[in-house]
Amino acid sequence: MAYITDYQYYENGGIVPEDSNWGSYQYVTLEDIVNNFMLMFQGNNEIINNINRYQVLFHAKRGIQELNYDAMKEIKILELKVCDQLRFVLPQDYVNWVRINLEEDGMLYPLTENIQTNWSGAYLQDNDCRILFDIDGAVLKPADSWFDIQRLDGTQKNMYPGNGPYAGKMGYCIDGKWCFDYSVGKNFGMNTETANVNPTFSINKKAGVINFNSSMMDKFVVLEYVSDGLESGDDSSVSVNKLFEEFIYAYIKYSILNGRFGVQEYVINRARKDKSSLLRNAKLRLSNIHPGRLLMNMRGQNKWIK
Amino acid sequence: MAASINEVRNTVLAIANKNNYGYISPQDFNLYAKQAQIDMFEDYFYSYNNWINKQNGRQSGTGYADITKGLVEVMDSFSTQVFLPQVNSNVYSLPADYYLINKLFYYSTPTFTGTSTAVSANQLIDAAAVGWTTIPASAPTPNIGSIIVNTTTFQEAYVTGVINATTITLSADIFLAVGETYVIYVNTKIREVERVSQNKIFLLTNSMLAAPTTTYPAYVLDGNNITVYPTTILQPGAIRSQYIRYPAVPRWTWQNLGLGEPQFDPTQPGFQEFELPDSDEPTLIAKICQYVGIEIREPDVFNFGKAEETNETQETS
Repeated sequence: MAYITDYQYYENGGIVPEDSNWGSYQYVTLEDIVNNFMLMFQGNNEIINNINRYQVLFHAKRGIQELNYDAMKEIKILELKVCDQLRFVLPQDYVNWVRINLEEDGMLYPLTENIQTNWSGAYLQDNDCRILFDIDGAVLKPADSWFDIQRLDGTQKNMYPGNGPYAGKMGYCIDGKWCFDYSVGKNFGMNTETANVNPTFSINKKAGVINFNSSMMDKFVVLEYVSDGLESGDDSSVSVNKLFEEFIYAYIKYSILNGRFGVQEYVINRARKDKSSLLRNAKLRLSNIHPGRLLMNMRGQNKWIK
Repeated sequence: MAASINEVRNTVLAIANKNNYGYISPQDFNLYAKQAQIDMFEDYFYSYNNWINKQNGRQSGTGYADITKGLVEVMDSFSTQVFLPQVNSNVYSLPADYYLINKLFYYSTPTFTGTSTAVSANQLIDAAAVGWTTIPASAPTPNIGSIIVNTTTFQEAYVTGVINATTITLSADIFLAVGETYVIYVNTKIREVERVSQNKIFLLTNSMLAAPTTTYPAYVLDGNNITVYPTTILQPGAIRSQYIRYPAVPRWTWQNLGLGEPQFDPTQPGFQEFELPDSDEPTLIAKICQYVGIEIREPDVFNFGKAEETNETQETS
């Protein structure tokens, strides 16, 4: 990307949206990466020659994806309301979740993943429990399984999130009203992995939704997630933090050399070591460890923990 | 400077006429000259490749010792750029005289299109133009330096100034008739269109990560046409080619006979000098001598030509 004037940076040259260039100097675009690689790292006198640009583009995007999965801290955040289906459709560019929060009164309450599934598929069966098929031999499926119907209707047991004598007790949330079984004795045998006063969720990756229990009806959910950095296929919007720029070149170089016939093993090894060490360097740089931040952390060393 | 066809012919005749019986007609000479030039022209590309390999083996230096620099200069002297006529939708036709398509460019950002409504030298006049303005004087619209393509004839020019809201001045006189259509492109957002082989193109278009886009377009070659991807690239005058053309066919021309000999006359229609440089004159002579030696059945002339060419090759490789 070419350098821009202050006016272009702060006000986008008077063109709406005026904030589109803010912070842009931190990033190098995919177009620049591919262009620079073709210009500087391949050619008659370089270690790589006779490659197609689409190969460079492919490896550049793969490198950006890998960075987004584990090294970069480019977290995206999306808020949606949970309606009567008690589900949150995953965003188009979702790859993995970081945190899922319930938003109430401007506060975010991190939710716990329910490791016991709260959804299921189902087949239709007759009175003898025989599975039913259509004329093409395909199995017949209901819209919702009985398990899902119970969850949607609130007839599944959940932990009461409120205060008072029923705080933490298992009950039923039906149309927003909580009902409890007659309580006898102490609450023994609780599954502590799912014991949380906040609602729980379970992700159905194949269906592309996050399923919640019935206490989440009409609540707002804030999803923090990571994407692969490819901006839903819009190449012109793809960019990488400049701290990773050298790593991306090294990644492309290694990937190409590694897949080529007749390249000496020491050349490939050198490229692999380059790539790995540059990734480490970039991670260190991005972690922003500096005395000021360490000092703030160290101030907590004498804090009394009750 | 290009090798002189008359000097080459005189030298060849001098060599072939050693016993006063070798005569080469102008027609025969022109045929041999064409063959010799094409042969040498193609050798440049192989020679360039050899020298690149040597360069990578540290057998070539920099500065005056950079042999590839001279070779590239000669090859670049045959470089031409033209906008390609559109055959239909995303198919464009290649120029007839191309030897090697080096690069294709996609002009991605058209700013104005229209039709010329009057004709004036080095100007485009469009009475229906919308958005042309001389304000501010330092940065009129269309921008100075924008490239304009006559999409009727596919000639090109640069915008050199804006006279008023309907007239702009151009670097070349490309509008010679009323009713010719045009498109003006921003001269910065130019994308290279990448050549892809036929057996890869549909794998590429189906790829999630590397499919051709307007930022990374691709093309395949079909006969003398190219098909550009993505298929949304279909405006006339959007694709420009930089290619190496064949050298023009050399032609020694004459008009009057003097002492029974045709007298050289470069003013005759069809006259064409060699296009290869002066330094190639000895090799051109040697190659033509081989053809001449066969024609007049003179082994000495053939052998001389062969030996000279071998010497030249050894010296330069």
